[in-house]
Amino acid sequence: MFTLHSEKPLKDMTESALEVCRNLGASYADIRIVTIKDEDISVKLGNVSVLELRETIGFGIRCLVDGGFGFAGSYDISADKVRRIAELSVRIAKASASTRKKPVELVDVKAVKDSYTTPYKKNPFKVPIEEKVNYLVEVDKRLGEYNPDLIKFTNVDYRSHSEDKVFSSSEGAYITQKIVFCGGGFSCMAISPGSPPQRRSYPGSFRGDFSTSGYEFFESRKLLEHVEEVAEEAVTLTTAKQCPTEKATVLLDGHQLMLQIHESCGHPTELDRVLGTEAAFAGTSFMTVDKLNSLRYGSDHVTLVADSTNPGGLGTFGYDDEGVKAKRVELVKNGLFVGYQSSRETAALIGLSESSGGMRADNPQKLPLIRMVNINLEPTDWKRNEIIEDTKNGILMSTNKSWSIDDKRENFQFGTEIAWEIIDGEIGQILKNPTYTGITPEFWGSMDASSKDDWRVWGTPNCGKGQPPQVMYVGHGCGTARFHNVRVGIMGGK
Amino acid sequence: MDSNKELLLSKAELILKEAEKQGASQSQATINLTNLNLTRLANSIIDQNVAEHHVKVKALLYFGKKKGSVNFEIFEDTDIKNAVSQAASLARISRENEDFKSLPNPKKYPSLNLGSLVCEATYNTTPELRAEYAKLAIDTAHDVDSRVAAVAGYVQNTTSERVVMNSLGVAGYEMRTSSDIELTILARDGAEETAGWSGDARRDVRDLKVEEIARVAAEKSAEGFGMKDLPPGEFEVILEPAATAGLLFYTSMLGFGARRHQEFMSYLRDRIGEEVFSEKLTMYDNALDERLVGASLFDDEGVPHQKVELVDKGVVKNLVYDTLTAGKDGVESTGNHAQWWGPAEPIARHIIAEEGNSSIDDMISETKKGVLVTHFHYMNPVDPTQGVLTALTRDGTWYIEEGEVKYPLRTLRFTDAIPRFFKDIDMIGKHSKFLTRPPYGMIPGMKLPSFRFSGSKKE
Repeated sequence: MFTLHSEKPLKDMTESALEVCRNLGASYADIRIVTIKDEDISVKLGNVSVLELRETIGFGIRCLVDGGFGFAGSYDISADKVRRIAELSVRIAKASASTRKKPVELVDVKAVKDSYTTPYKKNPFKVPIEEKVNYLVEVDKRLGEYNPDLIKFTNVDYRSHSEDKVFSSSEGAYITQKIVFCGGGFSCMAISPGSPPQRRSYPGSFRGDFSTSGYEFFESRKLLEHVEEVAEEAVTLTTAKQCPTEKATVLLDGHQLMLQIHESCGHPTELDRVLGTEAAFAGTSFMTVDKLNSLRYGSDHVTLVADSTNPGGLGTFGYDDEGVKAKRVELVKNGLFVGYQSSRETAALIGLSESSGGMRADNPQKLPLIRMVNINLEPTDWKRNEIIEDTKNGILMSTNKSWSIDDKRENFQFGTEIAWEIIDGEIGQILKNPTYTGITPEFWGSMDASSKDDWRVWGTPNCGKGQPPQVMYVGHGCGTARFHNVRVGIMGGK
Repeated sequence: MDSNKELLLSKAELILKEAEKQGASQSQATINLTNLNLTRLANSIIDQNVAEHHVKVKALLYFGKKKGSVNFEIFEDTDIKNAVSQAASLARISRENEDFKSLPNPKKYPSLNLGSLVCEATYNTTPELRAEYAKLAIDTAHDVDSRVAAVAGYVQNTTSERVVMNSLGVAGYEMRTSSDIELTILARDGAEETAGWSGDARRDVRDLKVEEIARVAAEKSAEGFGMKDLPPGEFEVILEPAATAGLLFYTSMLGFGARRHQEFMSYLRDRIGEEVFSEKLTMYDNALDERLVGASLFDDEGVPHQKVELVDKGVVKNLVYDTLTAGKDGVESTGNHAQWWGPAEPIARHIIAEEGNSSIDDMISETKKGVLVTHFHYMNPVDPTQGVLTALTRDGTWYIEEGEVKYPLRTLRFTDAIPRFFKDIDMIGKHSKFLTRPPYGMIPGMKLPSFRFSGSKKE
């Protein structure tokens, strides 16, 4: 939509910024120039409540001077501003260095010149907006018509995102990337007199499911085909039995399991957290360096990886924002804690030979941080139905509704929109207000099955971290998994 | 100190003119220009150190009841014209929104001392000054106790200018500065690690209580050794101001925003006028209170802020509205439109709860079996329609018995409902001498007779 207002070609601009940093004493510098486009559509109760395009253009310069890092970024891509921001980043780096006890060191990375685009068939920005609006309006209408006496609230969301990045470093890297994702979903709320409202969503709550794919991904979610089933579940929930308060065998399906992975494995294996960078905000981690290769994180069935190469994963890219090539890194192998998500700086701090390639920023003017890529639970040799049939008494929970976890990522509590009893290997009646709580290693230690037939990478664009805050898009691959001896039914007083 | 007022106004005018050319029946231009500078501490060094310059421009166009908008971080006239044209295209293909009545009409802005919102020293804060503050915090904390192992947190200064104009004549401009510091201090003794927290915010960076909050946070961490577990159960609770603030923010956000009522998500739906809370609780939203670091003239659609009574002696009084939600309920906007996390909605972001006379020590002496909480971590609604929240204690929690602090506690989780735990309040403290940034205004500590802890490090 917009043009990049620079007085020089991008390559010249990156080189002159890096030269300013070098001339002012930087031992390392990098610059990112980024254009981000978003298209947001929301339909709510028959009204198009959001129809908006968003576009950001800007740059950020990070440099290492006297052993300290500095970062500065601006929306103003003029030669004069780029020079002044480069100077400011050096000044900030010197201020950082004044408190350091030892200089920042970086593990090596091969400086490459490359280009990468996330694959897609239908560019979501080329699909007429009117077509998308019409589809969302139709989904919303069908939801509202399903049971007008009880379905009192409906909402349908869609988002396209495109990010064009140039990364250039003083080590000689020059990488251009295009990241495209899209997705969406719907939710409805049923209200029956005398009963608290009950919400159901598809394919996931909090605006749906997302993938680094083209519009074909959104089409494949087939929202219209799920309207009746999901609306009926919302209606049924209003008269459903309350989830019991007890210790139970719990099955989590994809949309809930992905957030369980996110909170209790993704965040605690971020090496910046482990080393104290987030101590004042998001917290630290119980997965400390002394426990690497010795902590039993989960049962033998639990293998978790950070993989930025999964086709369609929302945490998929060619290179991270330090120019590290996308890769697969094991975090937990057969229950043993074996690895971290890292950056060039944090990897060096604990003696690793390379970064896991996890550094990303959500905006050109923001500092890259270690962010989850696709954090996946590897499937075991089960099918979802086999897990259900193998469960004598249990509760199957689906679709995240609430979440909270402590600052070391041990004590968690989640709620889901819906649950079903499992009795003698069969799915039984619906349970409302399901919640469960646990302690991370005990919980994962109780997992004895995870399915492969419904395994896929779920995407959430809502991961918050950092000060100033950033919101990143990440993926989580999983199917359905079973856990034992789990506290369920924690609702508090009313 | 450079003001960009004329530049921002001219850009906003350009948006409105272009919208008119496109045939829009109504239009709104919003521009936020922000210089944000944040020095982040970890492990008693400056670990991250950033400066971010942003301009966020929004063109919102209506064609009758059909709306389109473009948000962009670009400032060239040609791009602004493109953006308005795009917004017009969107609006034309959109559907009629029956809830939309009109953008806000102009209203006289209140007589807030605009000069008081800006401090030249804060505007001119340098990386070197933030580094000095960082060193002062680090040195002060380590001097408190030899077991202090790591100082973490941030020092930040921000200058922001914003303009909101619409085709009906709304034209608001304001410039604000703020600075703030928060510290989390970790102490270690053998295998045990403790933490303490404190923070302060000021419009004038020279007024930041750096040494004082470093001392408070360090003392909390030093006094935290010998932690024990507390089994889940119902206890009296003493909430320091930051802990109360977390609870009252969710009390307000989930309960008092008109959008949440209209979408059946509020636990206070159909309860306006009811005595839901303790008669000791009186709470209002007032961005015009000059004591607040986040004091401000108008909301994100240019409607003047006003004092909105939320709770008067326990009785639910009013919701907060923006223009769209007010139109739906047939009332006036209260000036609370906020472009917050996710879609814009009316939110109280300048919450003031009336103070009492009790000190935290008074509250401790009146406690038989209770928990003293510094603040909470990762608070989220479990069921917003019932006001059920969950969160964890953090950075200093103690067990109180028979009027005395007995021992520090490991992390506890609470799961409880707002209308239940705020139904009774035993004691209310004075406002803290430390200030805060929005969404918190001025909130005192409180003692509640009953609070439900549902979990711990063990379960």
